[in-house]
Amino acid sequence: MQQAEIHDFLVRFFSSSGCSILPVSSADQLKVQLTKEMDKRLMNRPFYWHYIEQIGAEPELATLTFRLNDNDNDGEFIHFGSPRLHQIMNTVEELGRFIRMYQILPSQSAPALEPWLGLNLKISYQCDLKKDFIRSVGLQLINGTLIEGFQSMLKRLQLNQKMPDYCYTLSPLITINSGIRRIERFIEAELNTEPTDWADQANERWEKDQQLLDSFYDYQELKPERYTQEKKALEEQYKPVIKVKLINAGLFYLQSSTFLPDLIKDR
Amino acid sequence: MKPIIQFDRTWYDSFLKHIEDNGPWAKSELFSLAYLAEKERIIPSFHGLIAPGRLPQLKLHPHQIETARTVIEEMHGKAILADEVGLGKTIEAGLIIKEYMIRGLVKKVLILVPASLVLQWVSELNAKFYIPAVAQRKAYVWEHYDVVVSSMDTAKREPHRSIVLAQDYDLIIIDEAHKLKNHKTKNYQFVQSLKKKFCLLLTATPIQNQINEIFYLVSLLKPGYLGSAEQFAKNYKSGLRSVKNEQKLKALVNQVMVRNRREDTGLHWPKRIIKSFEIPFSKAEQDFYSSLDVLKQHGIVQSFSLLTLQREACSSREAAFVTLNKIYRTTTTPVTERLWHDIFDKLNAIQQNAKAEKAVELIKQINDKVIIFTEYRATQLYLQWYLKKNGISSVPFSGGFRRNKKDWMRMLFQNNVQVLVATEAGGEGINLQFACHLINYDLPWNPMRIEQRIGRIHRLGQEKDVHIYNFATRGTVESHILNLLYNKIHLFEQVIGELDKILTHIDLNDVEKQVLTIFEESDTDGEIKIKLDNLSSVINFEQLQLKGDEDHAAGGNS
Repeated sequence: MQQAEIHDFLVRFFSSSGCSILPVSSADQLKVQLTKEMDKRLMNRPFYWHYIEQIGAEPELATLTFRLNDNDNDGEFIHFGSPRLHQIMNTVEELGRFIRMYQILPSQSAPALEPWLGLNLKISYQCDLKKDFIRSVGLQLINGTLIEGFQSMLKRLQLNQKMPDYCYTLSPLITINSGIRRIERFIEAELNTEPTDWADQANERWEKDQQLLDSFYDYQELKPERYTQEKKALEEQYKPVIKVKLINAGLFYLQSSTFLPDLIKDR
Repeated sequence: MKPIIQFDRTWYDSFLKHIEDNGPWAKSELFSLAYLAEKERIIPSFHGLIAPGRLPQLKLHPHQIETARTVIEEMHGKAILADEVGLGKTIEAGLIIKEYMIRGLVKKVLILVPASLVLQWVSELNAKFYIPAVAQRKAYVWEHYDVVVSSMDTAKREPHRSIVLAQDYDLIIIDEAHKLKNHKTKNYQFVQSLKKKFCLLLTATPIQNQINEIFYLVSLLKPGYLGSAEQFAKNYKSGLRSVKNEQKLKALVNQVMVRNRREDTGLHWPKRIIKSFEIPFSKAEQDFYSSLDVLKQHGIVQSFSLLTLQREACSSREAAFVTLNKIYRTTTTPVTERLWHDIFDKLNAIQQNAKAEKAVELIKQINDKVIIFTEYRATQLYLQWYLKKNGISSVPFSGGFRRNKKDWMRMLFQNNVQVLVATEAGGEGINLQFACHLINYDLPWNPMRIEQRIGRIHRLGQEKDVHIYNFATRGTVESHILNLLYNKIHLFEQVIGELDKILTHIDLNDVEKQVLTIFEESDTDGEIKIKLDNLSSVINFEQLQLKGDEDHAAGGNS
């Protein structure tokens, strides 16, 4: 993430969470007056808040000053490794977890909106090494149409959190629960077609170390507890596993003609 | 075999409840930003390092990055880091922890280091790597914090021991791991019992004496890697110190050990510029020094105590007084009273300290940060007083200081005052590379201690040449030490790291004892000189031998 992108990210975050962006003298700076909620989340001062709320006093909300270049002295230097940025990103992920949105349509179009379930998932391939991959999947809850790259698709649409007055939503035939299962089965099937060389190699490393361990305790009839402990540690170190974690999920009501057929993965 | 696929399903209920309750729903901008935050933070590849890109303010050297990569990708997180002294093993370890934490492969970390280094580790991990490491202070810390730094002595003692052994650590780091060479010790067995996924052992001297040491070190990391103890003995040992199948052993060890050498790193190392001063006593000091002989002649002290007194007298009258007074109070009789009277008179007659005067002159000339090392607490106090009298600000530093005080003194020295006056015990465990002038106000007889003193400033991060000033009083025991032991065997000029290799080969206590014996048993200065000459020849010979050994053996990554 470049410094300019970080700046953009911060401005978007603070504006959308209700904080006020204060004027600064340099483009490399960002000054923010926090809201009460953000102060509580970011400033880590529970005793102050407990005290203020006990006596019912007017709180003094914190102001954060960031600088995006390394040379200045004024403000907190923020970059992709700084703990503050990750604290903010974690907060963003907590606050941006579940959503419901409606498509805004031109007034002359058909007023029916179809329900979609959208899941953004992080897929981690893990052994003694690790890498991640993000998948964004949408499932239409009436006919089971499934598309990938759902999040970037949504970006092109005009959406609102309130249903437009002249529209109505169609009832889903697939429940949320089974919708989630369908997406999981889809992901699972896809993962099963992927090459497994990384996992095979990890298994080989595991096997090799296990053999060494066995040979070390070979002469002992009754294996000591340490053997079992080391064996378990090797499993934790090497065992290849794919973990699927939710980033965020949403219910989206969209017009049926929104998606072109070539995006459709499964029905 | 296909890898297992695990779905995190803990969010189901919460999502369904949001639908049921009609909210509360996230703002659409935050929903997009959450996706963006995760997208930016994913790890795109199994290979390469993410951490350096997230540490823009840390200057990493190529060998440090390469070491971290090798440990993670080729050694699978179990390794001995055996860089020569001063190449930044702590930085390499920090980089490895950071990389694993970013990748989400490591959460719980235990770092065991010598007590004097606990705080330094904590502050380096926090300041340089943004790793929220804490020093173990209370029993609850083990369970409540993810990254804990502690001394081995604390961790292995109850009530801590059982708590520590119950933790599932993802990564364990042990500094000064060469202390674990003996598998029968409590420390070794304790480390062996820890639950660990990844493990780093840090040491500058992986093999000191016996070939067994490397076996036990490696077996902590990977039991069975060098076979069982019997197999190892059969395959690689011939006698206690000699190796057979050396090439094979070396190749095996190199797969679990990284050893960067100074000459391979391509870094510029600042020079050591050594200056020795032989400072004549003032008349009064000389009289006092000479009068001490009387004590031995009258059988009041043995030659060892006399030697101690003489060394103290070379430092300051204050240092000598402490010992002198102790002896006086325990041995005085009416018969010796007059003799004592004479000695104390001479002590009181001393108006000036020749070395202190030289120090002030030198400090004013240097006009920069200076560290003064002395062996004696009394001299330390005296020097502080004397410097102040001459308008030079200073802070004290001793090993006995609490961690906070040590840090505070270091900070004061860095920011506010010109001189740090340290006693011997303060020599280990602080980095003072922002200073480049060091005065050895008196000379320890154990050359390793000199090396540790110099190591405080001559290390990675030192950008200027390092100036070492050695003080010895002319015509005393000290000048013998300076001339014959140090100057002859060129210990000051050794590149850092070389000395520990040499000295671990010769038994150190032996050297000290030898010197003592020489002083004790010689009747004339001439005799002392000849005997010290012989001793330095022995050490020089050992040095040459070792150089030869280094060239075709030892466990390097070449």
